[in-house]
Amino acid sequence: MRTLTRLTAIALLGAALPLQAAIAQDEPVTLTWTMWSGSDAETAVWRHLADMVTEQHPDITIDLQTASWGDYWTRLPVQAASGQLGDIVAMQSLRAPNFYQILEPLNERIDGDGFDIDAFDSSIVGGLSVDDTVYALPYDVGPWMIFYNKDRFEEAGVELPEPGWTIEDFTEKAQALTSDGNYGFGFYPVDYAMFSSALGVDYLDEDGNLALNSPEAVGAAETLANLVTEQEVAPVVASGPDSGTITSGRFDSGNIAMYVDGPWVMVNKAQDVDFEIGLAPLPRGEGDLEAVTAGSGFGIAATSDNKDAAWRAIQVLTGPEALEYLGSEGRALPARTAQQASWFDVAAADVYGAREALEYSLEHSATYEITSNWNTVENLMNQYFPLALTGNQSPQQVMDTIQSLATQ
Amino acid sequence: MSQTSEPLATSRRPTSMARREAGTAILFLLPSLIGFLAFMLFPIVASLGLSFTNWSLLAPPSFVGLANFQRLFTTDPIFFTILGNTLFFTAEYLVLNIVISIGLAVWISSLKIGQRWFRVIFFMPTFTPTIAVSIVWLLIFTPGGLMDYVLDLLQVNFPNLLLDPNLAMQAVIVVTLWASVGYNMILFNAALDLVPQSYLEAAKIDGANAWQRFWYIRLPMISPTIFFGTVMTAITALQVFDQIFVLTSGGPGSSTATLGYAIYQNGFQNYQMGYASSMAWVMFVLIMMLTGFQFWLQRKWVHYDS
Repeated sequence: MRTLTRLTAIALLGAALPLQAAIAQDEPVTLTWTMWSGSDAETAVWRHLADMVTEQHPDITIDLQTASWGDYWTRLPVQAASGQLGDIVAMQSLRAPNFYQILEPLNERIDGDGFDIDAFDSSIVGGLSVDDTVYALPYDVGPWMIFYNKDRFEEAGVELPEPGWTIEDFTEKAQALTSDGNYGFGFYPVDYAMFSSALGVDYLDEDGNLALNSPEAVGAAETLANLVTEQEVAPVVASGPDSGTITSGRFDSGNIAMYVDGPWVMVNKAQDVDFEIGLAPLPRGEGDLEAVTAGSGFGIAATSDNKDAAWRAIQVLTGPEALEYLGSEGRALPARTAQQASWFDVAAADVYGAREALEYSLEHSATYEITSNWNTVENLMNQYFPLALTGNQSPQQVMDTIQSLATQ
Repeated sequence: MSQTSEPLATSRRPTSMARREAGTAILFLLPSLIGFLAFMLFPIVASLGLSFTNWSLLAPPSFVGLANFQRLFTTDPIFFTILGNTLFFTAEYLVLNIVISIGLAVWISSLKIGQRWFRVIFFMPTFTPTIAVSIVWLLIFTPGGLMDYVLDLLQVNFPNLLLDPNLAMQAVIVVTLWASVGYNMILFNAALDLVPQSYLEAAKIDGANAWQRFWYIRLPMISPTIFFGTVMTAITALQVFDQIFVLTSGGPGSSTATLGYAIYQNGFQNYQMGYASSMAWVMFVLIMMLTGFQFWLQRKWVHYDS
């Protein structure tokens, strides 16, 4: 008898719960925000942004869920397939062609609310759009650049790089900086695309299909592999999930004098190094520099139950105040052009040549050419390119393999 | 049975009791049964279904018939390399694991003091997460890491294990051995301790030397345990993933790409779940076949009479 009463009580309680949830609809709402983060410093920045939303819209609470960059892209499709997507989904321009269908198109909301999309850098709005439909509001944009150890340059008596420098200048300096187990440059396979573009080399054909084994594209691979095999100015990297992290770490420890990264990394760099950092654009080939950019933003999950609240939230997350904060923390070069100064005046204030490098790169910015399976291409690069760095295979063989595996 | 009428009268009671007990048994089995159904049987059946589809995870799966299997066996340029790598790893690792763990078990059981300590020490790596173990070994093997440094000090010219396509698999095998040899060691050590002393003493009196006592008495006596260890080790070896994920990501090139890693890569990095499922089924069939083969083979070397 007692069990029966208890069961009834539980059943009644169970019936009451959804009722309560239904009433709560118009009241406080909790939005889940899935985001990548590489460190505690970075997570703290995102949490601050989440608090900004609650401050402006007290009815919205944000449940921030972070994963490392690599894991984020493993989890996202699984969350989509199992209906577990967050309300606010972070999206990167290079991954947008692969993932846009899980996001809500934003054009109607932008037009309906008279939202000023022109305040953002147009290239990154384009990067987060597919067929003229915007799928995410951008928070950052950024060209890849050369980060260098200014102290090492001065010790070795090497002239600092200037915007407009060529790949020959670059190689010369790297050689002069290589001695006693320290290297002039740190290369990792995913750099291939940024470097090829900087040199004016196409690795896609006119129809946008992968063409990694064209003579031109293989030539760029040879130039890069030679830095390791012949000129020996960069250490060999092994194939593994973390070659980028390892290269970045070797730069921090002073073991390599130059490496490629973007403005978003300043939030970690400022804490991690105890030397003066300098910035230069990527070196160019015969022609003008073509500096590829990428950026990220926040979209609304197509499956979200709280789309209106999420729309209000992402406007705060990408608003002038939030981007000013992201810029000054060194987490992002703001996607809003009016706020970009916060990055080089605050976060990169102590970084030599930051403003010049950035402005030069943005003046020479180019679209990052990608295929819809770019994730696959990057993974294959990490797995197979080391064979060309150790001389086990020629760059031609490696590029043939990657081409055939990525297009099968 | 038919001698008296008594059994007839009692024969109904056990049935109803058995029925009641069966009900209780099912109730007790339910937690693990539900777990098995939800997390084993259902995924296995689902993956069979998925292996006939094209599924990017973002859109609903579409039926493609046998196309995935056709691609595996006819057009995929590295599938047979992957299959070969998996079998190579399993064969070398299995032999080394069994030999080393028997060696350790015999050595420890011969010790007069400190048996327990050595058992704990060698067993410790098996309850350390493989990912953590692999990260530590990655720091040792990585180019310019501890191993390169030590070899440099000793002025030994030896290629870096993770950079050389012919040696990378050896690095994976070393790490796997270090991490899991302790498990079989404990099994074999326990089995050795159960071999009756009287047998060994009788053999000693008959003039059998230490090697003969090991080869003709102890080894056959523990052969059922060795068989169990071999089967279980072979199954985990065929599924190897964690160490490869951390140490090499299947590289350099495809030199350490195994079935387990390729399934992850296709499913979760290239977003081709259907294709990954078809690979998982190849792995399933392979494991079934090899295990069946081992059971057939055991008749020739396993002694169950005690």
